[in-house]
Amino acid sequence: MVTFLEILVYGAVQSSVYAMLAVGFSLIFGVAGVVNLAHTAFYMVGAYLIYTLFSLSGLNLIFSLVVSVVLTGIVGILVQHLCIRPLIKSEYSVMIITVALAMFFQEVLLSTFGPVDRNLTNFYDATYKLFGMVTIDAQRLLTLIVAIIIIICLWLFIKRTKFGRAIQAVAQDREGSVFMGINPNRVYLQVMFISACLAAIAGAFIAPTLGARPHMWEHPLVRVFICVVLGGLGSFEGTILAAIIIGFTEVVVAFSLSAYLGELVAVAIILFVLCVRPTGLMGRRAA
Amino acid sequence: MMNQLHGLEQSLPASPLHWKRFRAHFAIVILLLLLPVFVKSIYVIDLLIVCNVWAVFLSSWDLLTGYTGQISFGHSLFIGGGAYTAGFLSFYLHVPFWITIPLGGCVAAILGFGLGLPALRLKGPYLALATFAASAVLHGLSAVFWLYSGGEDGLYGVGPLTRNYFVKYYWSVALMVVCSGFLLFLVNSQYGLILKSIREDESGAEASGINVTKYKLLTFIMSGFLAGVAGAFYGHAQMHVGTDLLSLNLSIMVVLMSVAGGMGTIIGPIVAGYLLILLNEWLRVIEVVRVLIYSFSVVLILLFIPRGIVPTIISIAETLISKIKSPSRS
Repeated sequence: MVTFLEILVYGAVQSSVYAMLAVGFSLIFGVAGVVNLAHTAFYMVGAYLIYTLFSLSGLNLIFSLVVSVVLTGIVGILVQHLCIRPLIKSEYSVMIITVALAMFFQEVLLSTFGPVDRNLTNFYDATYKLFGMVTIDAQRLLTLIVAIIIIICLWLFIKRTKFGRAIQAVAQDREGSVFMGINPNRVYLQVMFISACLAAIAGAFIAPTLGARPHMWEHPLVRVFICVVLGGLGSFEGTILAAIIIGFTEVVVAFSLSAYLGELVAVAIILFVLCVRPTGLMGRRAA
Repeated sequence: MMNQLHGLEQSLPASPLHWKRFRAHFAIVILLLLLPVFVKSIYVIDLLIVCNVWAVFLSSWDLLTGYTGQISFGHSLFIGGGAYTAGFLSFYLHVPFWITIPLGGCVAAILGFGLGLPALRLKGPYLALATFAASAVLHGLSAVFWLYSGGEDGLYGVGPLTRNYFVKYYWSVALMVVCSGFLLFLVNSQYGLILKSIREDESGAEASGINVTKYKLLTFIMSGFLAGVAGAFYGHAQMHVGTDLLSLNLSIMVVLMSVAGGMGTIIGPIVAGYLLILLNEWLRVIEVVRVLIYSFSVVLILLFIPRGIVPTIISIAETLISKIKSPSRS
């Protein structure tokens, strides 16, 4: 029973991080057709910014969170405007340049902070007992709560606001949205900003638990990619469902067998899905 | 991104083995063979061995992605597969290297076949993910069976090729020349033309009666075999196989360097292998920013000369030569 509840809680935390990352990745893919392999590099940049501002400089928590998330968003805009926009016609070129950028960010952080793991101070030091049995630290709980709030806000934002409808319009029909007076290039920039911010939030909140290091982008990249394809590229609900599946699978396997096998099982799932149903669980048919 | 044939190839006869076409290549090979006569530093020789092996890594990737258009972010699957096969055989069973290296290639070829099967149905981001995931499987397995694979440290004490550095150097030159010669011959033959047609228009190729499935699978197998042989050779040359040969970082470096050299030219990635590895070593003086400068320059190359370094230099040289030869016409 205790193990079951532990799996439930830790699986939820794991899934929430993947969901935050995968939603951003899926958004920019669905709208602009950009496979942004530098997405988890934004997650890393967010983690390092919060480390610099909050743990090293000892600034106010809310202030450093806002600054690091917005700064990462601006980095996202720069990447989109300077590097992706000129190549957006070719899917392969975009993938290659974003992976080059991810390496670039890795090297920038490696030369600034060195190859060692950096430990961050927790935002709030406490441990709770959930359901009277499962011990969980405040940081993980905070991550879970923030992720849920952010994802609900994002969903409302996309489905309910005028701005969100513009994003949906560009995703559905680029030419049609131009006739409606929407500038697709500007929408791409906005979406990239949101996507980078989401990655930065995920990075900032999980970093105190996992630590920050210059290779931290590699591990979630494959996982996030798996979530997005499993859910169907560009499908919001599908992506979250897939993040939950992958997050829980990993935790279940890690609890019952070994932490390394969790990774393998996730990869096995996706290789199977790619063979059987390449459009994912809730994806539309690729054109 | 996909290159057309550059002028040099068009202006010369179509026979794949016309010697004039390969004058420059022969010159490079002779230079490589004579190099140890002038260079006595073991450090430089060791570096050149790495360059030779990398040239095979990059050109075998180019056959798969540059020529056939099957984007692969998982070349470390083949390299690491070959290296670990050779490593296991040599470390546990003390099998001599002339058996383990071909066997490493064969295992990598089987892996190539295994990856090629699902890849037949996949395109674009899906294919990229499948290759990412496939290389993660092997990395994951090496972590799970750390007791046998040595985990992160890998296996130290793989049987050496030979104790003599210069003999080892000639082995590596032989490997490079045979592999890249084979690839150059291949892509200049009708086979290369078929691969290019698959890259440019797959359904068009199929409509013209080309068995796309067969050629794609064959390409996966050949690319895997060559990368596996090179990986196994690298393992023996370093007397060590480690998880760096299975890592995502290696796959990404292969992609970036080949693209910087010039995709779809075979010779571009080979030159890039030498250029960038040597550049890497010279920049070691400013150790901290070495890879930083290097990865940033790759971004710039992608943005401003997407054809790659080598094709651009060749076309600039050709324009200059034609201007010198006939100043009145231009």
